[in-house]
Amino acid sequence: MLTGAAAFVSSFLIVAMLLGLFVYAYPAIRFNGLGFFTSIVWNIGNQYGSGATVTHNGYSAEPGASFGGLVFIAGTLLTSVLAMIIAVPFSILVALAIVYRLPAKVKPLANAVVELMAGVPSVVYGLWGMVVVVPFIGSVVAPFAHDHLGIIPFLGGATESGNGLLAATIILAIMVATTRDSLQAQSKSIYEASLALGSTTWQAVTRAVLPSVRGGLGASILLSFGRALGETMAVLMICGSAINTLPNTIFSPVNTIAAVIVSQLESALTDASGMAQHSLGELALALFLITLLVNGVARVILRGAPHAGVIG
Amino acid sequence: MKKLSALTFACAIALASAGTALASVRLLETGSTLLYPLMNLWVVAYQRDHHDVQITTQGTGSGTGISQAIAGVAQIGASDAYMSDGQMRVTPMLNIPLAISAQQINYNLPGLNGVHLRLSGPVLAGIYGGRIGYWDDPHIKAMNHGVRLPHQPIVPIHRADGSGDTFIFTQYLSKSTPWWNHGPAYGTTISWPNVSTAVGAMGNPGMVQTCKATPYSLAYIGVSFLTQTNEAHLGYAALQNSAGQFVLPTTTTIGADARALENRTPGDERLSLIFAPGKESYPIINYEYAIIKPHQPDAATAKALRAFLNWAIDARGGQQMRFLDAVHFLPLPANVVRLSRQQINKVH
Repeated sequence: MLTGAAAFVSSFLIVAMLLGLFVYAYPAIRFNGLGFFTSIVWNIGNQYGSGATVTHNGYSAEPGASFGGLVFIAGTLLTSVLAMIIAVPFSILVALAIVYRLPAKVKPLANAVVELMAGVPSVVYGLWGMVVVVPFIGSVVAPFAHDHLGIIPFLGGATESGNGLLAATIILAIMVATTRDSLQAQSKSIYEASLALGSTTWQAVTRAVLPSVRGGLGASILLSFGRALGETMAVLMICGSAINTLPNTIFSPVNTIAAVIVSQLESALTDASGMAQHSLGELALALFLITLLVNGVARVILRGAPHAGVIG
Repeated sequence: MKKLSALTFACAIALASAGTALASVRLLETGSTLLYPLMNLWVVAYQRDHHDVQITTQGTGSGTGISQAIAGVAQIGASDAYMSDGQMRVTPMLNIPLAISAQQINYNLPGLNGVHLRLSGPVLAGIYGGRIGYWDDPHIKAMNHGVRLPHQPIVPIHRADGSGDTFIFTQYLSKSTPWWNHGPAYGTTISWPNVSTAVGAMGNPGMVQTCKATPYSLAYIGVSFLTQTNEAHLGYAALQNSAGQFVLPTTTTIGADARALENRTPGDERLSLIFAPGKESYPIINYEYAIIKPHQPDAATAKALRAFLNWAIDARGGQQMRFLDAVHFLPLPANVVRLSRQQINKVH
């Protein structure tokens, strides 16, 4: 009875939030139309100007206003994909090492480190990124890439690569933990049987163990992807808050939906027409839907997965 | 054990009520990171003699200052920008100048930070507008003879949060450069032109940090952070004023600008001091505003607010040079103090 009620309340909350967000964003959805997904110009309009207000579909905003979300939507996806490219292979290797390689005495320590990494608030990662990672990329990595690889122009300090790297660090711990659980739920017999048949440890892992936990692995990847999509504070602190420009190298400044909602909210609240607030609402709705989609896909994979382990 | 926790509880209650008795009114100041260093000096000094009020300060950006004062979350919204006509129509607020501030243009040019480069409004507009991409651009060279400028892309840094510094900087660009005025124009948040090297930063501290961490970058930073930018070994520019002269932000040049415009200050004190006439005038100066709701929730809050604000603009109070010098601000001229007092007395 109690559990049923709790389940009902939580699903009701999700639906209520989605509906509330939709109602809040509705004026912006009408005002922005499809331009929301195709335009890179985010302009809350000239609050101090005397020009004519802009009107679309019966909804108006300040002179010059335009709310294109492409920079933020693209930035969110690019940062998260970059984070996954770094985190997925790395965390699979770490998880494999913890389950199959490390001596029993060291294992608890490795597990503790992984859990500690997952527990550090992301704002701490953000500060570290701002003070250490970004200056390092700006003054060492990017100039090196520019001088020696010659293909990537040096474009300043706060960067997408820094962003991806940081988001990768944050989701790394979660990925290691979930992958490790999948592997542990898997009986060791597959690994041992494979070795008995004469395969090397590398063959046993890549041909036998990983394929047998692919469901759990897929779900773990998607859940971490969802976490990377929504990461806010750390990203905001180092992304370079790009506006009206799409990144053209991995060293360009970017912006993400979550970061721009935080940095633009107070300015949006000073918009006399209110359309900037509604447009931030529309961005939030877009992020919500992307995250729901990713989680939904993860659930479906998880349901069909053998030996899925404990996830999320 | 039980006794001990009861004792702790009693102590907590006693302490809490003592705290309430000491500070009967709590005021929250939030907003401009440019005004924040001065507010901190003021509040500490003020609270030494005024135990009946507890003032908390926060540097969150002028956009936040304005919106939280409107929302009633903060009693004092600090802003480098006055509110727009549109905002005033929706929510009429008092815009009360507390001091005169300025803004410097900082840069991180390895080897050249000891040199005061000469820059103009149109050149800065060109950089932030994507028309001038390299430090050795002919437009920059033309006003800096004899300086060996590097062939490196310029990284223009702008504020990512709603900011009064953005407001006064873009107002300088708008008043000095017609195409900027017809394009991006000015505001606490503007739609920055598409420049692939452009970087956003949060607050003046974020601007200092980003400029320091990014070689070949350029930033606009409030003068109250001059000490920090000097410690970070950033250079700052001499800016071209409306008379065509290049001037550094000093007490003389900031004061010259203020004198040129103080008599034009209207009753509601919403006035731009940017790009004032005069050979000596530094072009980017502004009033630092307290954005205040005329109707306060109760009489005690209104009284405490009036007392603090009146102290802040008093020559024997907040306008003493020992406060203002520390942040490179200038005191309000006498007639502006008079106007500010009239506005403060409207708080009830």
